[in-house]
Order: sequence, then C-alpha cells, then structure tokens
Amino acid sequence: MTKKVTANVVGVVLAVFFAFPVYWMLSSAFKPTKDLVSSDYDLVPLSVTATNFATAWNKPGFLGAMGNSLFVTLGAVLASIVVGLLAAVAMSRMRFKGRKQFVLLMLVAQMAPFEALLIPMFLMMRDLELLDRLPSLILIYFAVTLPFCAWTLRGFVNGIPLELEEAAMVDGCGRWGAFRRVTLPLLGPGLVATSVFAFVTAWNEFLYALSLIKDQSKETLPVWLSGFQTAFGTDWGGAMAASALFTLPVLVFFLIVQRKMVTGVTAGAVKG
Amino acid sequence: MTAVHTTDAAVPTNSSAPRRAAPGGAPRRRGSAFDRLLPYLLLAPALVAILWLIGWPVLSLLVTSFRQLNLKELTRGQVVWVGLDNYTKIFAEPEFWTITVRTVVFTAAVVAVSVVAGLLIALLMRQISPVVRVVLQIAMLLAWAMPLLAATTVYQWIFDQQYGILNKTLVKLGFDGFAGFSWFTTGTSTLAVIGLLIVWQAIPFLAFSLYAGVIGIPREQYEAAGIDGASAWQAFRNVTWPEIRPLLLMVTFLSLLWDFKVFAQIWAFKKGGPDGASTTLPVYQYLEGISKSHFGVAAAVSVVMMALLALLTFQYLRRLLRQEGSL
Repeated sequence: MTKKVTANVVGVVLAVFFAFPVYWMLSSAFKPTKDLVSSDYDLVPLSVTATNFATAWNKPGFLGAMGNSLFVTLGAVLASIVVGLLAAVAMSRMRFKGRKQFVLLMLVAQMAPFEALLIPMFLMMRDLELLDRLPSLILIYFAVTLPFCAWTLRGFVNGIPLELEEAAMVDGCGRWGAFRRVTLPLLGPGLVATSVFAFVTAWNEFLYALSLIKDQSKETLPVWLSGFQTAFGTDWGGAMAASALFTLPVLVFFLIVQRKMVTGVTAGAVKG
Repeated sequence: MTAVHTTDAAVPTNSSAPRRAAPGGAPRRRGSAFDRLLPYLLLAPALVAILWLIGWPVLSLLVTSFRQLNLKELTRGQVVWVGLDNYTKIFAEPEFWTITVRTVVFTAAVVAVSVVAGLLIALLMRQISPVVRVVLQIAMLLAWAMPLLAATTVYQWIFDQQYGILNKTLVKLGFDGFAGFSWFTTGTSTLAVIGLLIVWQAIPFLAFSLYAGVIGIPREQYEAAGIDGASAWQAFRNVTWPEIRPLLLMVTFLSLLWDFKVFAQIWAFKKGGPDGASTTLPVYQYLEGISKSHFGVAAAVSVVMMALLALLTFQYLRRLLRQEGSL
C-alpha cells in the first residue's frame, strides 16, 4: 500500500517538474515588470497585465515570422508526407530489384548530420539562387524529414493487412481505388503521427533559418524569438509572452492530436 | 499523388496484388511492363530528393574538406587543393581535442540520463493510479510540445542571475550565496543547465515510447513469474528487460543521433561561451564556417563529426542492417 502511495507521490513530483517551466512562462508573461524584477516572487501572479503580450505582438516581425514559419513548415511537411508515402507504399507493398538497398538508404539517410551539411547546403542554395529565400528552407526541411517520414510510414503501411485491399479489388475496385478507399483511411493515425514529427522538426529548426536567411522580413519564429532577447535585454516579461505566443499553436495542435500521436509515433517509428 | 493516380487508368486488367501472391508468375505477362516500372516511379521522387539534397551535400562536404576555401576563394570561385592540410590543422589544435572529448562526454551523459529516466518513468506509469498517470502524461506532453527556442528562453529566465526564480528560491531557503549567482561563469555549469533542458525535453518521447513497449508485455508473463516466486527485480530482469531491449536500443540510437548534433540550445545560451568553454563540435564548425568563413576547415570538422557519429552508432547500425536484411 505504501509502495503505491510513494509511486503516486513520485508521479506528482515529476508532473510538476515537467509542467513547471511551461507554467512559469505563462505566469511570468502575465506579470507586470515590477513584479518580475522584485527580489520576492509569487507563484501565482497577484496582479495580471497584458502589457507583455502587447509588447511581443507589436514587436516588428511577429506576424510576418509566424507566416514565414507556417509557410516553410507546412510546405516541408506536405512534401515529405506525399513523397514519403509514395516511397513507403513501394517499399512495403511491392517486390522489386533494389528494394532492400533502398530500405537501407532510408536508414542511412536518417543519420545524415544536417548540422554538418550547412556549408555545402549554403553553396548549393547559392548556386540555385535560393539564398535569402524561403523555398531554400522548404527544400532543406523536406530533406531532413523525408527519410524518417518514409521509414515511419512504411511501418504503418506494413501494419495494414494486404488482404483488405485484395478484398476490395475482388469487389471491383481498381488498385488505386482499393488503396484510396481501404488503406488510405486506415493510415490516418500514421499520417498524423508522421506529420507531427515533421511539423515539430521544421517548426523548431534554427541553424539553417539563421544562416541562410539574412533578410529580416523573411526570418522564421525561432530566429525572431532569439532576436527578441538581445533587442530587449532584460525584458523577461516580453520574452516570456513572445515564447508563449510561439508555443500556443503547437500546444493546441499537440493536445488535439495527442492520442493518435502517442500511439502513432511509437508504433510506426519503433516497430518499423 | 499523381504517380499513383495513373495506375487507376493504366492497370485495370491486372487487379491481383503486385506480390508474389500469384502462384506461377508466368501468366502475369500482360501490363507487367508498367507493373515492373511502378515501384520505381513511386520511389523516384524520394530517391532524387535524397541523392540531390543529402547525398550531394555529403559528397561536396568531403571534397571541400580537402580545399582551402575562405571568403576570398569563395567569392573568386578559386579552387585551391590543400590535401590533408585542413585535417592536420585541426588535429594540431589542442582546443579541437578538448571540444571533441567534451562533445562525446556531454552526448553520452545526456543520452544516458534521459534514456534511464525515460525507462524509469515508463515503469512508474504502470504503477501509479490512472488520475496521476494522466496528469503526468499531460505534463510531459507540455514539455514535449514546447518549441525548442521557447524552452531555451524559459530556462534562461529560470536561471537568470538577478531575477531567476531558482536563485530567488535558494536565497529564500537561506542560501544567501545564491543572490546574484551566475550559473554561466564556467563551461561545466553552463553545459549542465543546457543538459538539464535537453533531458527535460527528451524524456517525454522516450517515456511514451517505452511505456507503449512496457504495456505491450502480456500480463500472463508476470503472473507466471509471480507463481515462480520471482522478486520485483527478477521479474524485471527476466520478463520486462528482454521484451523492451530492442525498443530501448532503438530509442537510445535515435537519442544519440539527436543529442550529438545539438546546436540551437547551446548557441542560444552563451554562443559556446564563456570563453568557448561550452563549445561543442556543431558549435565549433559553425563558428569556423559561418562566423570566420573558414569553409574548408569547417568542412573537415564536419567530416570528423560524421566519422565520430558513425563510430558511435556503428555497432547498432550493423545490427539494424542485419535485421533489415532478413526482411
């Protein structure tokens, strides 16, 4: 009995450990500056203000950066899901010469250290005349996420019995019809889980966004946020509000797809 | 999608699955030219993308590492081969070895802590009441969902010298020495804070994955172990461990890949400072390449990074390849 109580107490302590920084970001964002810089502090804000959010919102570039991030992220996610799904179907459903080699390529490509490929990428984008342009980031994030997406989706397609498709074909569907009506809907959670992974990767990316984009009107949210700190020095309230604005869309998205995502990520990525 | 769509019109005759399912493949001649082509058509976009956007940069990185390539050569488009000069230059630098050792130790520590903690939390989640479990899971989801740079900013705020809640709390508890204490005067404590941040964000994925593995173990196996009079530790050793070992290896491998390459958090905290004391290889190659425009040297550093990563994961990758080979 006491063992059970101990376990629960540890669980609660851990929950506080994980949630605290998120809570502290939000509560700091709502506090007036004088409360933030006093030597004392209150765990629950005593006075609440929206000034910090106004500061962050009005700092030049927020909406632009949000738009840039969404454009780049969605572009990359869409591309790697479509291209990855095509490859996954081929790898999982078809037997052909070179299949094994291709599967190996997908594995090895996941090891590509993109942080180390910065310079060749830089030169490549220069030659393509894509420096300082957002499509360069779409291409790169697409390449970063593609091997993982194809690999994971392959696991999900493997998990759907081929007999279902065959049954649909007996009932008069063409191969594409059977795939679209039977397999594609069953792939739903897999597609969600894979997209979330690609989304988070692209949404978070900092190094390439920092190095390839110099034009301030084209910067993405991570770069915008990192600029916030130097620009405002010790305005922690503003920085926290900006972080909260940056976090909120992802948080909402995560909580919505949470169930599918958790089972999906593990089932697909790990069971391969 | 277009590539798939064409199948609809093109292969109405051959409706049987493109697998070895049909006994005696000989009669399946008609329309099979397209059939044989189809997998390659489906793979083509991915193959082109990978060779072009990953393969080519890797190749060109290798080539660049044998060239002298600074801003001057870059703008003039000069090609100056220097053989192994870049490598001998970085290997002669004592700082490079310090950074390499630091990177490996830091990666190992972060991976070990987060994998072990992730496993313990996965096991804990099986023990606790459903309410606490849901609360813990939501808390972990919050940490997981927080964008990297936002999380980094919050940690900087918590550890802030003047106004951070950590110092304020420590002072309240009577540790007056922490008034205005800076956590970022040494590389070790800077990396410790960054490591904590990375672990905090890494655990949720690990815990969720391992929890999925743990609850997948059939209950009968534990019951059988219980009948045999196994202790909790023995049950773990003989039932849990063999079942989750492959999963554990997989997530350790992924963590290794991810944590070895950490850049954004380190850069955002102190740009590798103070005095380069929290610089790791990714930061080093960024400083050499982008800040100092020594592209050849930076490429050599990157090649060493890739070699190191390959070395660190070699054993596991070989296992994985062997498994895949049997498919």
